[in-house]
Amino acid sequence: MTTVTQDPAAPGPSLESRGIRLGDVLFRGVAIVAAAAATALLGLIAYKVIEQAWPAIEHFGLSFVWTEAWNPVEDQYGALTFIYGTVVTSVIALLLATPISIAIALFLTEIAPRRIASPIATLVELLAAIPSVVLGLWGILVFGPWVAENLEPWLEKWLGFIPLFGGTFYQAGMLPAALVLTIMIVPITSAICRELFSRTPRDLTDGALALGSTRWEAIRGVMFAYAAPGIAAAVLLGLGRAFGEAIAVAQVIGGSDHINVSLFAPADTLGARIASQYQGATSPLQQGSLLYLGAILMVISLVTNVCAQLIVRRFEKQRRAV
Amino acid sequence: MKKSLAAALALVALVVATVLATGATAAPTRSQAGTLTGAGATFPFPLISKWIPEVGKAYDINITYSPVGSGGGISAITARTVDFGASDAPLSSSQLDACKGCVVIPWALSATSVPYNIPGINGRLRLTGPLLAQIYMGEISNWNDQRLRAINPGRNLPDLKITPVFRSDGSGTTYNFTEYLSSVSRPWNDKVGFNTSVSFPTGVGARGSAGVAGVVRNTPGALTYVDVAYSLANKFSFATMRNSAGKYTTPGLRGIQAALSQLPNKVTSLSQLKIVNPPRSAGPLAYPIVTFTYVIVPTQSNKAADLRRFIYWAVTQGQKFGPPLLFQPLPKTVQAFAYREIKKIQGGT
Repeated sequence: MTTVTQDPAAPGPSLESRGIRLGDVLFRGVAIVAAAAATALLGLIAYKVIEQAWPAIEHFGLSFVWTEAWNPVEDQYGALTFIYGTVVTSVIALLLATPISIAIALFLTEIAPRRIASPIATLVELLAAIPSVVLGLWGILVFGPWVAENLEPWLEKWLGFIPLFGGTFYQAGMLPAALVLTIMIVPITSAICRELFSRTPRDLTDGALALGSTRWEAIRGVMFAYAAPGIAAAVLLGLGRAFGEAIAVAQVIGGSDHINVSLFAPADTLGARIASQYQGATSPLQQGSLLYLGAILMVISLVTNVCAQLIVRRFEKQRRAV
Repeated sequence: MKKSLAAALALVALVVATVLATGATAAPTRSQAGTLTGAGATFPFPLISKWIPEVGKAYDINITYSPVGSGGGISAITARTVDFGASDAPLSSSQLDACKGCVVIPWALSATSVPYNIPGINGRLRLTGPLLAQIYMGEISNWNDQRLRAINPGRNLPDLKITPVFRSDGSGTTYNFTEYLSSVSRPWNDKVGFNTSVSFPTGVGARGSAGVAGVVRNTPGALTYVDVAYSLANKFSFATMRNSAGKYTTPGLRGIQAALSQLPNKVTSLSQLKIVNPPRSAGPLAYPIVTFTYVIVPTQSNKAADLRRFIYWAVTQGQKFGPPLLFQPLPKTVQAFAYREIKKIQGGT
């Protein structure tokens, strides 16, 4: 009978423990509800998108995916033009944004003195705070004309033998859209890369330097190896952003219904097509087709995310093996 | 463990109860007289937002309008989830059947201009409907084309590529413009047709009036179509269009009024409101690219009285808010048609 020895007038510890337990229970409840709500919401959205897309899924079947057509007059729709546009703009944006982001991150963590580094870091992150519709307007009024008058003629002069860089110069097309996307994903990827590099254990790089490697060798051999899975994740996060961006792309891509070989020519992406035509869609089949595009976009994003996780896991395994 | 689970369940129950409670308090206000909800076209949205506070003051009717697009508006009114819908295009007969007892009432009027950017050209360029269709089909691709020079004698049209610019988003302006091209050009009608968005064979798309205007402003040789008031507000040079009488006209108030003169003294059906490319009898001033935009209302509604008041106000006093916002006032014959249609709205309960 241990309770006999306790003073009944001093129930301190038991009350305190009860308090902790109540907090625990509440916290647990809130966490469960939040997690369940997020999952349920995603499920509901997916269900609703597919439900709304059903007229088009039923009518066109899977061949919708590889049909190049978008004709609201004849009610003929297909997704190929937009899948192509989404993939090409995002891949170009990624190819440009990755080295730029890594360079920015290295500059900020390794090269720049702290006095300069922190304001620059803030400014780069502020880029992410520009609303995409404003970036799109800038794309139409300033950036697009510059691309058409300077960048595209220059590219044609040096790379014109490749069909991708030929033909008429347009201020609204695949290339301006890809470049606007680049601007949009650089802040995200560079911020994550900076975080990764600054968390590389100092003794590892110091060790490499002590063993006689140059600064670049230390960065390449130690920092990159250490941060590789993180960089891969950052890049794929950027890719997700590029896939999903709708408004800014819709403003600068030129809304073409056909696939054009030249990167200068107008094109369109899944997100941009939904953003620009959903409000004006008149037939149920057109609305359904636009949501079908949305469903395809969700599938592409899902596949990319799964790939990202596989890549990260692979890197982690390699690192552990080393 | 059990206790924590019970607590979690209690929390869920609490959240559900709160949601239900707020839902329950919101529900009665929605069905209360004095409130109207609408959804539909974005094109008349600026005008409708101007109307909402005015109607609120005049009749104590609280209106909310969601610019979800013409298609969304038609679906919403067909499903009766809103009290009225709005559409840039009149309902097709199958849409009208599906809507089961809906009336379609014209409530605003607008004209489309054809602005261009040709450096060194002053004054108004002349264009015809068939040539415009050929430009948008890529068959005429340079400003110094023989066919363009033939109708613009004395003008030094430059050797410059034509960049046709179109709206990549669905819009009433596109409907009006392509409806016009379809009515004047058989090849256009066969190959492209008309709708709020069509598959343009060539050219550059941009989003919204501001988007196409931005592209035209920055691209020498570009040409596009935007609402007249937008052109005027932005000081664009726009083309004079040849009408059925063979005259070149501008989309000014007089040109629009002349285009309306072909309307019968008593408008009896919606099909008579198709006013693009008016016949020769409309006179030498008639501008050929003019259109109405519509409100869709069920004939049976338990808010019939408020709907009648609101729409009657919109087609009468509401029209004076139009001119500063891109819209021309409705002519009297169309107002009379609207009154008769408004009377068909009856109380359900």
